Amino acid sequence: MVGETLRNLLMIAWLLPLVGFAVEIFGGFWGSRKSRTAAWLAVGCIASGFLCSASALVIWGNANHWSVLNKQSHHSAGEHGEHDAHGEQGKGGHAAEPAPKAEHGSVSAQGPYVLTAAVEEHAAESHPAGPTVYSGTLYYLARIGSLDISLDYYIDSLTLVMFTMVTFIATCIHLFAMGYMSEELTEEYVDHNAHLSNGHHVHRPGRFYRFFAFLSLFCFSMLGLVLAGNIFQVFIFWELVGICSFLLIGFYTERKSASNAANKAFIMNRVGDFGFLIGLMVVWTFFGTFRFGETVDEKGTVVQAGLFQLIQRDETGNVVRDAESGEVIIGAHDAALTPGNSRKTIPYALLVVAGLGVFAGCVGKSAQFPLQTWLPDAMEGPTPVSALVHSATMVAAGVYLVGRFYPMFVQEVLLTIAYVGCITLFMAATIAVVATDIKKVLAYSTISQLGYMMLGLGVFGWGAGLFHLVTHAFFKSLMFLCSGSVIYGCHHEQEMPKMGGLWRKMPITAFTMLIGVIAISGLAIPGLVSWSTIFAFSGFFSKDAVVATSLAFVKANPSHFLLFLMPLLTAGITAFYMFRLWFYTFAGQPRDHHVYDHCHESPLIMTIPLMVLSVLAAFCAIGGEQGKLYLMLTGDQPAHVAHGVAAAAGGITLPGHDAIHAVHNQAGTLALIAAVSGTLIAWVLYGTNMVNVAEMKRQLAGLHGFLANKWHFDELYDGLFMQPAHIVGKFCSWIDRTVFDGIIHGSAKVVLFVSKWDRLFDENLVDGFVNLLGTSTFAVGRSLRVVQTGRLRQYVMFIVVGVVALFAILFTTFPG
Amino acid sequence: MLFTELINSLITDTTQSLPRFGVELCLSATIVLFLLMRLTGLDRLIPACLTATIGALVATFLAYKQFDALHDLNAVPSVKIFTGLLVHDLFSVYFRGFLALFLLLTVALTSLTGIPDEDDSPDFYSLLFGATIGMMLMASANNLLMLFIGIEMTSVPSYAMVGFLKGRKPSSEAALKYVVYGAGAAGVMLYGISLLAGVLGTTDMSMLAARMTEAAAGGSGGLNDPELRTASLGIMLIMVGLAFKLSLVPFHFWCPDAFEGASAEVAGFLSVASKAGAFGLLVRFCLSLSGAPGTESLMTSFGVGLGFIACITTTFGNLAAYTQTNLKRLLAYSTIAHAGYMVMAVAAMLVMANGPQAASMQVDINRSIEGLLYYLVVYLFMNLGAFAIIAIARNYTFSEELDSFRGLISQSPTLCIGMLICMFSLVGMPPFGGFVGKLFIFASAFRAGQIHWFMYVVVAFGALNTVFSLVYYIRVLRTMFMEARPADARPVPVRLASWESAFVVTLAVFVLLLGILPHMMSQTANDAAQSLAIFR
Repeated sequence: MVGETLRNLLMIAWLLPLVGFAVEIFGGFWGSRKSRTAAWLAVGCIASGFLCSASALVIWGNANHWSVLNKQSHHSAGEHGEHDAHGEQGKGGHAAEPAPKAEHGSVSAQGPYVLTAAVEEHAAESHPAGPTVYSGTLYYLARIGSLDISLDYYIDSLTLVMFTMVTFIATCIHLFAMGYMSEELTEEYVDHNAHLSNGHHVHRPGRFYRFFAFLSLFCFSMLGLVLAGNIFQVFIFWELVGICSFLLIGFYTERKSASNAANKAFIMNRVGDFGFLIGLMVVWTFFGTFRFGETVDEKGTVVQAGLFQLIQRDETGNVVRDAESGEVIIGAHDAALTPGNSRKTIPYALLVVAGLGVFAGCVGKSAQFPLQTWLPDAMEGPTPVSALVHSATMVAAGVYLVGRFYPMFVQEVLLTIAYVGCITLFMAATIAVVATDIKKVLAYSTISQLGYMMLGLGVFGWGAGLFHLVTHAFFKSLMFLCSGSVIYGCHHEQEMPKMGGLWRKMPITAFTMLIGVIAISGLAIPGLVSWSTIFAFSGFFSKDAVVATSLAFVKANPSHFLLFLMPLLTAGITAFYMFRLWFYTFAGQPRDHHVYDHCHESPLIMTIPLMVLSVLAAFCAIGGEQGKLYLMLTGDQPAHVAHGVAAAAGGITLPGHDAIHAVHNQAGTLALIAAVSGTLIAWVLYGTNMVNVAEMKRQLAGLHGFLANKWHFDELYDGLFMQPAHIVGKFCSWIDRTVFDGIIHGSAKVVLFVSKWDRLFDENLVDGFVNLLGTSTFAVGRSLRVVQTGRLRQYVMFIVVGVVALFAILFTTFPG
Repeated sequence: MLFTELINSLITDTTQSLPRFGVELCLSATIVLFLLMRLTGLDRLIPACLTATIGALVATFLAYKQFDALHDLNAVPSVKIFTGLLVHDLFSVYFRGFLALFLLLTVALTSLTGIPDEDDSPDFYSLLFGATIGMMLMASANNLLMLFIGIEMTSVPSYAMVGFLKGRKPSSEAALKYVVYGAGAAGVMLYGISLLAGVLGTTDMSMLAARMTEAAAGGSGGLNDPELRTASLGIMLIMVGLAFKLSLVPFHFWCPDAFEGASAEVAGFLSVASKAGAFGLLVRFCLSLSGAPGTESLMTSFGVGLGFIACITTTFGNLAAYTQTNLKRLLAYSTIAHAGYMVMAVAAMLVMANGPQAASMQVDINRSIEGLLYYLVVYLFMNLGAFAIIAIARNYTFSEELDSFRGLISQSPTLCIGMLICMFSLVGMPPFGGFVGKLFIFASAFRAGQIHWFMYVVVAFGALNTVFSLVYYIRVLRTMFMEARPADARPVPVRLASWESAFVVTLAVFVLLLGILPHMMSQTANDAAQSLAIFR
């Protein structure tokens, strides 16, 4: 049973960190503050998780004979077209041993349902090699009305790639953190950035174990999010990663800035989650289920179709709508319409609302415009946290969810996603140009890259967006860890103007960072034969895919030309600010000798993760869209993605794979030109001394100020929301104090007056009565204590009295 | 019929019935064993509590096997045994299992606390087992005579057990009161049985409904019809007899006295087990009269009447508990109140089963019985837990007054935490089992409100009483947790690693589990409830 093996492996990978968390948080509390046990435990848990995920990936691939890899290479190596590819694959499938058509999921001990593996339509049609999607129920929580709440799983190639990626990066970062957080291994830690009211530094016990416990909890939540088989479960783990992020950003809780940043991140995410909840309500109201896959009972019959089966698409890729009302049909649209069996529909507008609602959650989590301001502040957390939570995994969860929920999104929603991503990627990149804090640059870069992913998804590049997610996770976590290494080496100095020339002191960090910078910038050496043999690092391929998709999109919908121009321009800006960072930090002459003299290369436990990650950042995407990673990732892409969506009347055309392929070279060339020019400008400005940067800054003071103040978003929100809230609050408080307090005081006086009289009444009349009653019953009770023949007779008399009374009541209440 | 044929059919019937009577037979055999051991002096060698434990264990196991066998065998869920005197179905097996488990727990408790002492223990356990057999008969009765025999077989050993602390005057006094009151109630019920059997011409409970319809035929379907009038008088008198066992107001007078006089172990046994048996009987009796065409409105008003009694009972029980200073007496009133809650489920069942859409509401009728059965299980654990803690502490302080529990948290936290869980569960707070049980019962009463508006009032009373009950339970907890232990109080050094603690913790864990994972037990209860639908 492949499905069960996969489920068990991923469950182990998912639950191990939870076990780790429990042991670490309690063991650490009672154990020694100087012990590294917690860290080793955390590393052990997540590393075993990685092994489980990786073996799950292999088992999954073997079970379907790696059909996803073969299928795509047929398609793209020569332009065979779909038909040929299917023919080839069909033969391959028959040659192999016949695999079961559908895998049965688990019987959860409590739940009445068994889920079978849902075979996605295209997989069932063209690949008899075996199912690629497995879903089912892990644990049945409750049934409230007709709402099933359960922990489900939904395993497809995306889940597996994400699992492997998350566990691998988390393992590297855990190892790195063991070095980075070693200062916490003490009974008394002095926090130089936190001050008491008397001006002294804060002294507190080290919190090494707590950091790793939180990291483990985060890993559990993140993996749960990826494994989730229903949207409600996604929401649960969505909130769990949110709380972990809150705990980790506010890890140095004594620092005012850290606790503020933690609050900001948490609150801004709530704004997005509000939209998420609305989306959930719409989904629940109209679809009646949260599950992605089908619900199947013990006998194997489908009890309820999953969300992905309920939304049907016609040959053009549009959702199937009712011919008369224009509402979207839920469930099989060709089912016979009988009077008793009216088909369920959802108004198109509400489907848009559901999509936008879920996307609102993603906006918050992935720090997209307009909820982007929390992520730079989140850099208050320890750097490993920034690398894991705020660049590679949690913030990418928003992108992941958009990808996961893709079948439910209609064109309007996708366009919104594209524009939000487009605005975000440009805006964040411009801010990154002027930031001087090394981590802030990376933070803005993260926002910008997340924007790329959203844009990619929005312009119908499902694979492109998620491809960029994975490659970005590798090179961005690498760069964050490098910056962590720099900060650790420079004794918590984060300002780049105080650095410079550091490559002599920390060569490994500088070199691995350079790899990351090249990767994110998308530099490449054009090959001799064709684009498919180009030599480039991972970032080039994924960004190329995004840009090519948006070019195809713009060609189909010329009025949305900005969706191509902005990412192209930003590709240049990205290269510029990333090289600026590198030149600023590592090249040139030391600008602050105090920092330079004390700086040193980090220990091996920190540099080894850097080297491992740098290899992956460089080569994970080798082969581009014909490479293993991309093919694996897109193995189970939504069925309508491949062919694109033809425009309905006045609507938007979404490009299919062929359209994208046609413009691939053109887009790639343009993006490469942009990246190279960005790099060159950065080199001229910061790598050589040809231009006086300070002079330039002075001349462009207005623009610089605008960018350095982050487009005044914090001020804008302050003015838009904070100040009005304060004013309303003040007004309310005034009303409270004058009007309501007046009323309350007045009423209090009245009550006092009444109660005086009431007391008299109470004490004399009521108390008298009650006391009389009390004493009399007490007397009766006391007298009943002594056995006396007369009293017991009275006792028994009550039976008779009771019977007669009851019969009298029966007669009076039930006449004739 | 020839005499030989009669004998032969009796023999085949008995041989077929005996395997289904295994649990009761096992208990009977244990009683015989006690007596034989006493005769031969073997009880000096093998402690009686050991024999009792083994007997109860085997009985529990047998009941479990019976449930399993019946559960798998969906085809024949309901069998009449012993020429139709008893019914063997999932419902009665559920009660058998429940009572056997409870017997086991009580035996464990008594052997922990040392009441009764060694000399008396074979006698005590004989009484305990005899009463349990009576309760099992109550839950599987299919004949009005069995109804009476079951109740008496439960009552007579109970009288003796209440008076078992021979040296204590209050104990004997309580037993005497109980006997006289019980005799009165039995007389009333016997009168009711003779009336009902006389009018309807049968004592077979499965035929009552049909005979009721015949009796109502041609008449107005109301009380002007003399036959119906007599029948309803009979029904009511029988219900009075049951109300005595359930200690419903106004037939509850014996309860506080008997509980105060009896030892805490016996009080715990009586408060749960004899109520459980009586509830099984009440459900069977009510269902046997339900759904007879022509008498629906009469039976609906009986249901509403039960609801009314339930409201009065809970309110009375809760309010009277306010001023109690003796913990057993307090719990006696709490028992009265809880009987009221559980009667609400029966009332809901009766109202729904006689409503106009009874057929379509079969699921809801099952739900109400399920709620009752679930609540009984929860009640077993939480009430026995509370009584057990009182008994354990009594062995150290020699007192069952609330004052002797003051500040107990400083000396034996396990007992206090156990009490906290039991009491919160008795109040009906989530996440403890009492919450789920109350939820089931109130939900079914609410559902019954669609048939008759009064059931909404019942729900309101139930909710209101939950608040009332908070006061005195919390008062006990406050005394235990928040007050200082007086210096002159006798110490209660119950450590965590002791049998007493293990017992209390086990009960508390079950209370908690029933609150967190309700579906397993509620599924079993639902199966048992469903078998009743076929019984009808």
